[in-house]
Amino acid sequence: MVHKNIICPVCGGSCDDVQIDLDTKNRTIDVQNACKMGNAKFQEVVSNHRLLKPTIRENGKVKEVSWDEALEMAADILVNARRPFFFLGSETSCEAQEVGLHIAEYLGGPADSNATICHGPTVMGIQESGMVGATAGQAKNRADMVVYWGVNALESMPRHMSKYGVFPRGYWTKRGRFDRTMVTVDPRVTPTAIASDLHLQLNPNSDYELLSALFTILNGREPHPSVEEITGIPISVMKQTVEMMKESNYVAIYVGLGVSSSYGKHRNIEIALNLVKELNNYTKCNIGALRGHCNVAGFNQLASYLYGYPFGLDFMKGYPRYNPGETTCVDLLREKDVDAAFVMSADLVNHIPADSAKYLAEIPMVCIDIAPCPTTTASDVVLPGVIDAMECDGTFYRLDNVPVYFEPFTDSPFPETKSNEDTLKQLFAKIKARKEA
Amino acid sequence: MQALLNTGSTIDEGRLAKGGNKYSDEYTKECAVCWMCAEDFTSLGCPEKVSVTSRDGKHTIAVYSKVTEAMKSGQVFIPRSIWANIVVEPDTFSTGSPRYKGSPVFVEPTNEEVLSAEEVVLKLYMGGE
Repeated sequence: MVHKNIICPVCGGSCDDVQIDLDTKNRTIDVQNACKMGNAKFQEVVSNHRLLKPTIRENGKVKEVSWDEALEMAADILVNARRPFFFLGSETSCEAQEVGLHIAEYLGGPADSNATICHGPTVMGIQESGMVGATAGQAKNRADMVVYWGVNALESMPRHMSKYGVFPRGYWTKRGRFDRTMVTVDPRVTPTAIASDLHLQLNPNSDYELLSALFTILNGREPHPSVEEITGIPISVMKQTVEMMKESNYVAIYVGLGVSSSYGKHRNIEIALNLVKELNNYTKCNIGALRGHCNVAGFNQLASYLYGYPFGLDFMKGYPRYNPGETTCVDLLREKDVDAAFVMSADLVNHIPADSAKYLAEIPMVCIDIAPCPTTTASDVVLPGVIDAMECDGTFYRLDNVPVYFEPFTDSPFPETKSNEDTLKQLFAKIKARKEA
Repeated sequence: MQALLNTGSTIDEGRLAKGGNKYSDEYTKECAVCWMCAEDFTSLGCPEKVSVTSRDGKHTIAVYSKVTEAMKSGQVFIPRSIWANIVVEPDTFSTGSPRYKGSPVFVEPTNEEVLSAEEVVLKLYMGGE
């Protein structure tokens, strides 16, 4: 049966035009409009490696158990911990994340999400400077200059250029690519850089200096000559870039981890945001982050709405605290500051540095996931995950913080649970029963 | 050779990760790879495999080498994965985000075996369980 306008639960683009033809009898799925990553994820519905049975590790051996046994052991691990850590991944719904946050609050543990190892510094930069933002549709319709700074959009958000950024025909950019100038700032010659009109191949860790120099030129001053050696970009090219920006009708800047993960971190973002504010004295300009997961923005929205902070929350004192560097995932694990972990819909062991990952593998860990991965290997309890936007409904927040409600095209394969939200509610009930007994 | 490490997505890294194939040979061949320019590759003696060591010398991982025009001399790239994260520095400058980009590393030729993602977890993180 063919289903149209399915939301893709992979990257922050959360594409809303995927077409599915699911053949449940022959266990095949035909996917139209999705990128390579999206297609691969949709194939998980019929894949042979899908995790379908809960497992626990007992005396070093992994064994399959009933759903109830796995939940009981998960509840035991979290209730018996003095400081359980909750990593509420971003390839699941806000509804599931909300239950996870409430469990963290109830047990007095820290809670974090992929934002912390993704655009956490971007969010901190926004807290410092504020942000001139726009929806992806506004940028599509208006922008005649597009800047990808520290992001390889063609490989990290493959449809961004064709759906919003460069190629689509907008209301004010009727000729699509021909009405847009595209600039990429990246130390590598990426496919995105090759597709650009201008590639600024800056030296690694020199984003702050380059942004400062652009700011100086924008204000009519001459940057210090040493900036050429530091950034690897001639001042004449910097001036050309600033002129191109000023002469454009609307500049859309998209930043990636190249800005927020390089030295300078949130300060890089802060000065980029200030440059955008200044540019609005000459033309219209907005900035946005290309977010890596379909609902990584959702956790920031949800945690800010519920508890006042966008990530790295700590409920140890009975009220939410936020101190990046202390209450954030990598730091908590590196400093061995937690003694059990719950990881939902994120392969955390794969994506954090060795010191933190090694400690995570040492402490009791419960995870929810759909396929074998380093986190399931290192977990003591593995609960099979339900795939959001395919097997259950819910809400994602897209890269531009627009909420997207998604509906399933098939059912959860598990009679015991309808969604990850449902699984967490069952877990929460068992945790409460233990604490209140 | 000392170099600055950059990590990030590749389209096939994304395809394999999102498709649940992190334990496949294809994923290892795509991600356990150190990209470098021809000049650096030649200066290392054109090795098939290299060991990448973190700045503090605490962590080392063997990966395949790849020559590409995408890189400048003195810079290497490993697709974001468990291999790259072995040598990514865990300090976060009080932001929560480790140094995924721009950390100094040491790159040398090696004959060590390139571990699969599962072997990295079992041998390096779980003490050989």
